[in-house]
Amino acid sequence: MPTKTRSPRAEKVVELMKTKCKNRQIMLSLAACVHCGMCTDQCHYVLANPDDPSYAPAAKADKIRKLFKAHIDWTGRAVPWWVGAKSVYTDEELEDLMDTVFGKCTGCRRCSIVCPMGVDMAVFNGMARNLLYSVGIMPEGVRHVAKDQWEIGNQMGVLREDYLDTLEWMEEELQNKHNDPSIKIPVDKVGADIMYVINPREAKYDPRSIADAAEIFHFAGVNWTMPSEGWDMTNFGLFVGDPALGGACSKRLYDAAHRLGVKKVVISECGHGYRSTRCEGQNWAGMDVGFEMESVVITLLNWLKDGTIKVDKSRNSDPVTYHDSCNFARSCGMTEEPREVLKMVASEFREMYPNRAENFCCTGGGGAMSMSEYAPRRLKSAKIKAQQLKQTGAKTVVTSCHNCVDGLYDCIKEYDLGMQVTQLVNLTANALLVPARPVKVMESIKALYGKKVLVIDDEPDVRLFLTKIYAENGATVMDAPDANQGMRAIRDMRPDLVSLDLIMPHKTGEKLYWELRKDENYKDLPVVIVSGYAKVDKPKIDFDGFIREKDIPAPDGFIEKPIDPDKLIGTVCGILKVDKAGV
Amino acid sequence: MHHEISPLVEFASEKLHILLLFMAAVYTLKIRWILLHTPGKDRQAPTGSPDTTGQRGAMYSLFNVAMPWAMPSTRKHKMFYAEFVVFHIGVACSIAMSIVFSYAPVLISGSAAVLTLQIVFASAAVVGLLRFIRRVTVPVMRLISTPDDIFSVALLTVWLVFSFLMAGQAPAFAVAKGQLEASSSIGALQETPVVVYYFITSFFLMYVPFSKISHYIYYPFSRWYLGRTLGHRGVYPMKQFGSEANADFLS
Repeated sequence: MPTKTRSPRAEKVVELMKTKCKNRQIMLSLAACVHCGMCTDQCHYVLANPDDPSYAPAAKADKIRKLFKAHIDWTGRAVPWWVGAKSVYTDEELEDLMDTVFGKCTGCRRCSIVCPMGVDMAVFNGMARNLLYSVGIMPEGVRHVAKDQWEIGNQMGVLREDYLDTLEWMEEELQNKHNDPSIKIPVDKVGADIMYVINPREAKYDPRSIADAAEIFHFAGVNWTMPSEGWDMTNFGLFVGDPALGGACSKRLYDAAHRLGVKKVVISECGHGYRSTRCEGQNWAGMDVGFEMESVVITLLNWLKDGTIKVDKSRNSDPVTYHDSCNFARSCGMTEEPREVLKMVASEFREMYPNRAENFCCTGGGGAMSMSEYAPRRLKSAKIKAQQLKQTGAKTVVTSCHNCVDGLYDCIKEYDLGMQVTQLVNLTANALLVPARPVKVMESIKALYGKKVLVIDDEPDVRLFLTKIYAENGATVMDAPDANQGMRAIRDMRPDLVSLDLIMPHKTGEKLYWELRKDENYKDLPVVIVSGYAKVDKPKIDFDGFIREKDIPAPDGFIEKPIDPDKLIGTVCGILKVDKAGV
Repeated sequence: MHHEISPLVEFASEKLHILLLFMAAVYTLKIRWILLHTPGKDRQAPTGSPDTTGQRGAMYSLFNVAMPWAMPSTRKHKMFYAEFVVFHIGVACSIAMSIVFSYAPVLISGSAAVLTLQIVFASAAVVGLLRFIRRVTVPVMRLISTPDDIFSVALLTVWLVFSFLMAGQAPAFAVAKGQLEASSSIGALQETPVVVYYFITSFFLMYVPFSKISHYIYYPFSRWYLGRTLGHRGVYPMKQFGSEANADFLS
């Protein structure tokens, strides 16, 4: 019988798997499953796809387990068919494995805690991701993010100057808000007590969270700083199961803390970031650290308890519920602290069921938000979370994780739940008792409050100008300098509205618009064209046709440059159906 | 009354136990193999509540199979959990019976003992049959089941049926062994169930170490390490808040 040949990638996967399985926990989790099926209806993918058995955790695990049995298990090597052992030979088989380990599992660990045998699927799912990652087989979004984290030092490719600009911008916002120029966001302050590290999503898409944290730190009167390097506490090493990437990211942050000589690293609200930095990082990096690390949730709780900060919880009067991030609850034991904070800063807390370590995944975990190819699957599985949210009757869901914010936001949108998503730091800042809070600013942020706007424009000045207008009206604003990066940002952040320029190098805004309208996921995404186009300048581009004559819906709005801010905001408010004066 | 022990029964009930040595040898090698793998370590300081530790988590994890309230899967499927208990008690009783029957059948020759054992074995056999049906009819179970899974539950079920029949032979076997006085209420020894039971048991001694049935060897290790990790990270022992409501969700 001819020997089946293996592709070079498959060969490498098999060899690497043999090395990885020398870890006792991984080997045991692969060997111990008895196929009892108890995990089946505990997974949100299964519950949302009851007719598709391939989503069952044991079935997904078996895709990896077959490989283990074929090469390591005693019986599997002798009588493979008897125990379902099967090796991999082709790249197509590896692609199929990728579809399972990246596209059908968020590594939420819920199946691990319900397994009578103690099989920890998240552990070997991470291993399988690493095997595929090591041979370059991974979803495109994961490739980009991992590359950015290796090369630029943060997972969203935020440049150092953009990060520092954002901090400066938030500092100015706070100074204006409180009429107090002494409010600072200190950067690289040697000898500070606290170093605050964030998720790059905050710098890129949600700078309000940075400002909220800074506001709390300022009024707490603590000696704090943010590092100019090593500020990203997220870690795609966790999502691709790669200790090398995980170690590099963690070390970058630990080095920053050592360099600044801080006593404590406070980690902003992010489930996987907290787990990576606080729990896994030292193992990956193989180093011990000489400082404390804690989540900002613990910091807030301690300050609320000892009176360092004071709050008026009636300012958060809507009923709120709490979604447990999987990494917080099932991998780090953080379940009570966020609830304690929430009960201190919000008037009405409503528990969600199931909760704590038994809660269901938001569906955005495991890096799922960066894998746009699996978005329909993810949104379908979000049905379970939607049911949970709806049952609470709350108007706002609070979570301590940026991935969860995006996952929940999509879920709410998909199932039309009409809820808001926010984080503890936002609620705490809103309830914070500080002298002379100016009313003017609060009013001005109402119109687009809670909306995410993406500005795509190749001209930096215009981008800045537009960003400022949207931000001043309360929106969370992100920007992209070209259509390709814009498309990526749309996939990552799923904005409420895209503000799109037409004439851009490489790919025109017109082409991007067509792509959006043809894409099932984005065909209804509101787009306002903001362009300085004049027909005499670009006679070859058929913008009139694009707007009026093509067989696709016209954009939701069209604003010509020079931009009239009032007209722009009026148009955008009309598109988003919000009251310009604030609701 | 026929109370003699034939050479075949004698061989089956006394000599086949030698295969236990084979099983022990394979298990020794298997445990050595497990221990050759390097355990991962947690370098970081513990997280979560101070009353959770790696040690406590490991102990909780080891015994949470006996705490059906501790896992949403067992809370939601109470009947399934009860079946699991019955099945495993049946198997454990049968293993014990295979030794006791050979050397001290008088200990299980009383009518109450026989009846108890027969109820246990019959119940366990019914569970085995239900599990077999579930494995071959439920789509997800069909998908995840290997020939080893199906064969194991089928053979165990057959074994439990013979355990049931065998238990009824304990008084006659005790008489044949000279451990009990013959009486009119004790029938003749039926050799077939005894021989079949012992040969299946012997087959198990050789087959089990290589099949999924040997999961009990992995169990303490896999549960210990999961518990140690989750204990160190403050997850185990798990907190139970509104567990009933948790269980009711989507049920």
